Amino acid sequence: MISPQTFHVVSTELVVGAFSVSGLSFLFCLLLHLDILKKTDWKPMFDNVAHFTLVFGLAATPFAVLSGLSSAPGEGLNSPILVNKMFLSMTGMGFAIGVFASRWRLGQNVWATSKTTVLHSIAGLAACGSMLLTASAGGTFLRNESLLDVLSLPYDAVLLFPTAISGISLALGLGLLVLGWLRMNAVSSVH
Amino acid sequence: MNLNRRIYIVLFLSLLLVTSTYGAAEPGGNGDATRDMQCGGACHGDASLNETSMATLTLSSSSTVYAGIPTTITLTATNLSSSSTGVVGFFLLTDTTGHSDTPQDAGWEVLSDSNGGAANYVEQTLSSGQSETSVSWVIRSSETGTTPFFAAIHHGGSSSPFFGVTPSGYSVEVSEVPENLPRLSPDFVPQSKRILDVPTELVLQTEFAESVQVQWKVEGGAVMSAQVNSSGENLWSATLPAALQPSSLQWRAILQGDGPEQTTPWFTLTAEEAGWEAEEFAVYLQAFALLFLIAGAVIALQSRLVPPPESSKYDQTDLLPHPIDAAPAVESVIDDLSDESDVAPLPAGGLPNGWNEDQWRWYGHDYLAGKYGGGQE
Repeated sequence: MISPQTFHVVSTELVVGAFSVSGLSFLFCLLLHLDILKKTDWKPMFDNVAHFTLVFGLAATPFAVLSGLSSAPGEGLNSPILVNKMFLSMTGMGFAIGVFASRWRLGQNVWATSKTTVLHSIAGLAACGSMLLTASAGGTFLRNESLLDVLSLPYDAVLLFPTAISGISLALGLGLLVLGWLRMNAVSSVH
Repeated sequence: MNLNRRIYIVLFLSLLLVTSTYGAAEPGGNGDATRDMQCGGACHGDASLNETSMATLTLSSSSTVYAGIPTTITLTATNLSSSSTGVVGFFLLTDTTGHSDTPQDAGWEVLSDSNGGAANYVEQTLSSGQSETSVSWVIRSSETGTTPFFAAIHHGGSSSPFFGVTPSGYSVEVSEVPENLPRLSPDFVPQSKRILDVPTELVLQTEFAESVQVQWKVEGGAVMSAQVNSSGENLWSATLPAALQPSSLQWRAILQGDGPEQTTPWFTLTAEEAGWEAEEFAVYLQAFALLFLIAGAVIALQSRLVPPPESSKYDQTDLLPHPIDAAPAVESVIDDLSDESDVAPLPAGGLPNGWNEDQWRWYGHDYLAGKYGGGQE
């Protein structure tokens, strides 16, 4: 039986590795679809890689979050870094779910216009960025140093909303999710 | 991929390899914890890359150690050097195999270390030019017998990590405790942490003690006495003054009874700011709100921006028979054909055989041009 700490290391390595490749592929997708990089035959390859690694990382993320909670020293969320890690990983998951659902339901239409391309690629890159920041916060928590220390990120400060605001945001998010899903179904069912 | 590009890529990768620096250590340290020797080979990345430390490590302890009674074991390190960070890590071990070699693995408890924790591995940050230091642990064994103790050191250097270990074990012999020796209870575990601005009430459980004195000191200060009250049979309490800033003090108890007077080791008590706390429900609620809000926003925005689908090439609904009630509309179009200037004029005999008005409307000119067997009439 492996310890939660070891399991957390394994799962976070999977998450960070997968999201890093995904982020790089989304960057290529953005450059290719905006014709900055003129290699048309690369488009399907980076499209596939970006979304496959995104889904892989997304599948590993809950394991990383749960093992992280159980392997943290002390009881509960006793450090602002842990809270920021939670927020960042959930933000990354939100972006990843949005990107994956869009690509799943809308197909190649996500690359149809420059606006949809930019939105899709930026959301994919944001998912990657959030996960890398989460990993950086983990390094700061565990070893008091991280590769992103050069940015002097305020991991010790927590922006915690009042419960009411969070509740409203949650309801709004669920509403947007349902609305977007129905609209995507309407679009995708025409074909 | 042409040859030039391949050469450039190989050169670029070679340049990256050449310019990278090789760092196997963790210059920030790993933090105090219960660790095997060299953290099982993990602290410095690869234990085989360590160079031998020039530090001299010497262990010492009191000559008489009784089972169930805490004792102090002190490591004195001299001839020290370190990396620019000054971080040095010290291990207290019971063998040097690299696994299951902590005092806990040999049946000892680490009750306190000089950093205020209870770990066999502690780190210190040396000041510039400092070449000597000492670390102490308060340990306790419930079993009699002889245990060899080893000390090890980890530190950085100009380019490589360093490791050193005492060449031979320092034997600590644990004897059976005399029956009437005044002592702390074998179940007593000293408090190692406290928060700022709050006096600390020490509660001591003892055996065979008729009176107890508690002394405390801060680093570099005089030894002070705390008032001790009996709060029950073999139960004593003493109050230590509050700390106003993060710091540590040491305290010990002097126990008197029928047997010889006993003085406990110095226990370290570290004062820290009150731990950070957040309401877990609020944190989880906000985390899930972020998840759903962002996912919902991306999906809603993308579904709005995606252009409406073009009619499919497989969409042939316009070829379906028209509903009956639409017939008058078709007729009205036919009626209007003669009014449209781009419709070819009908031949004198009317529509050619087999033609209808709609065909004439679109292909009338071609008929008149002779493409369908007709011609100018």
